[in-house]
Amino acid sequence: MINGASCIISFIRGVKRISFSHMTVSYRIKYFLVGVGFAIIIPVFLYLLKKSMGFFEQLKNDVCRFVKDLKRYFRYAVRLAKADLRTEVANSYLDWLWWLIEPFCMMLIYAFVYGVVFQTTEEYFTAFIFIGLTVWSFFLRNTSASVSMVRSSKAIISKIYLPKYILLFSKMLVNGFKMLISFGVVIVMMIVYRVHITVNVLYLLPILIDLFLVSFAIGVVLMHYGVFVRDLPYIIDILLRMLMYLTGTFYSLAKRVPAPYGEIIEKVNPIAYLIASARDVLLYGKAISWQLLIVWTIISAIVLILGISLIYRNENSYVKVI
Amino acid sequence: MEERELIENAIEVKEVCVNYKSLHNVTIRHSAFRKRKKEEEFKAVKNVSFSVKEGGILGIVGKNGSGKSTLLRSIAGVFSPNSGSIDLKNHSISLMALGIGFKESLSGRENIILSGLLLGFTEREILDKMSGIIDFAEIGDFIDKPVNTYSSGMHSKLAFSITAMLETDIMLVDEVLSVGDERFKNKSMSKMKELIEDKNRTVIIVSHSIELLREMCDEILWMHDGEVKEMGDPDEVLEHYLKFMTG
Repeated sequence: MINGASCIISFIRGVKRISFSHMTVSYRIKYFLVGVGFAIIIPVFLYLLKKSMGFFEQLKNDVCRFVKDLKRYFRYAVRLAKADLRTEVANSYLDWLWWLIEPFCMMLIYAFVYGVVFQTTEEYFTAFIFIGLTVWSFFLRNTSASVSMVRSSKAIISKIYLPKYILLFSKMLVNGFKMLISFGVVIVMMIVYRVHITVNVLYLLPILIDLFLVSFAIGVVLMHYGVFVRDLPYIIDILLRMLMYLTGTFYSLAKRVPAPYGEIIEKVNPIAYLIASARDVLLYGKAISWQLLIVWTIISAIVLILGISLIYRNENSYVKVI
Repeated sequence: MEERELIENAIEVKEVCVNYKSLHNVTIRHSAFRKRKKEEEFKAVKNVSFSVKEGGILGIVGKNGSGKSTLLRSIAGVFSPNSGSIDLKNHSISLMALGIGFKESLSGRENIILSGLLLGFTEREILDKMSGIIDFAEIGDFIDKPVNTYSSGMHSKLAFSITAMLETDIMLVDEVLSVGDERFKNKSMSKMKELIEDKNRTVIIVSHSIELLREMCDEILWMHDGEVKEMGDPDEVLEHYLKFMTG
């Protein structure tokens, strides 16, 4: 075991032929210690792996259950989203036009503040802001809704079982629909601006899917803790406001923040990255790094699975708390 | 008698305990500045086991706060027991409590569809029964108005109609047999009887009305402080119960 380990080590270090007798004493001691270290680490590692098998097994079951539940409750989620959308506009005079007017007015405000007052200049500035605003408000709405989601739907969950993330899912469908309308406006703007459209526009689809996944993953985790921690809404509120400025909703992070940091923030913050890529793809006809896209997909999928598992473990005690 | 033995159990409840404990709301200020309080546990249901036969009707009695509703809710799957098991043998189940889960801002019609979907019906089945539900509920044009404009009577009438018309294999009834005005009460009572008398339907009723339970149930479970005090023939158990409560 020890000799084997020392052989491996020396092979990695580039020593092709090794014989114990040629070594100095200090080398022998060094390899001996490395070997001992491996002898301890490997069994511990194997033990941990074996122990966590149960955990992985559980995760696998949860994923199967998630897929099954999602299928069973999908109709419900869609129906709920539709009904929500309908009632949202039922009592206003301009009904669904609000979905257009609201983001449009927001864009005018921010375009004035950042374009005229702060003199931020980007190519196609209004569309630039509008894309940022659209993506950001999708994320913002989902996140702030998820924290108080369980509490606000007490009436339903105290009477009948349903997987709690379905409520969030339905909410995301509502917000997603609004986002698509906003993207419709973006397309109109692109036509007005005569933006040169390239084949890279197709990247928008994976970007949106990624956005959905990231929001869902974060939302599911927050939803769980929102049940137990009463102050979470306040904290999330502050964090989101901070995050908004670190996301570059109104300006380009990469250009505005001093050299290395701007790009670093853009890579570390998934929303910032998604917004920047959506702009690149739609307005500037640039290709994006699909590696990063995949990395974020994988990370959010893992967080999502853990979050779902967390909810399955705990959802039946939610009713007792609220 | 022998034939009855062959009928399978529809619900099996084994040594179920439900605790309300330590899951208080935590605020960060509390957890940071206060020492951890001793965990208080309130045992709402302690070691309850029973089974109900397919098509059987079980009544549950007990004074207020003896864990009846908690037990019913855990059978409905709203929350899980802390220990023990509840086996429903894959039957569909609905809990009929005062007001089923309505989304207040949505119209009555939307709520019917949503509740139906949650109970595991397809949209088509629900639409087929829609007019039946609306007729039964007798709330007229309000069906297309948001539920938060309903009076409490209309609210519970609609709730009753939904659970009564969308029939599930197992029905859990929690004190809802006194819904609405005199007329609706009679109507709902006879509908209830009709539902209960269906041989394929298993029912658990929680009620304080002794006459009702004596009339309808095959068996009575008497709960006291979260434990099963007595279970068996309606006349016998109810008599003991009455003696206990008045004496």
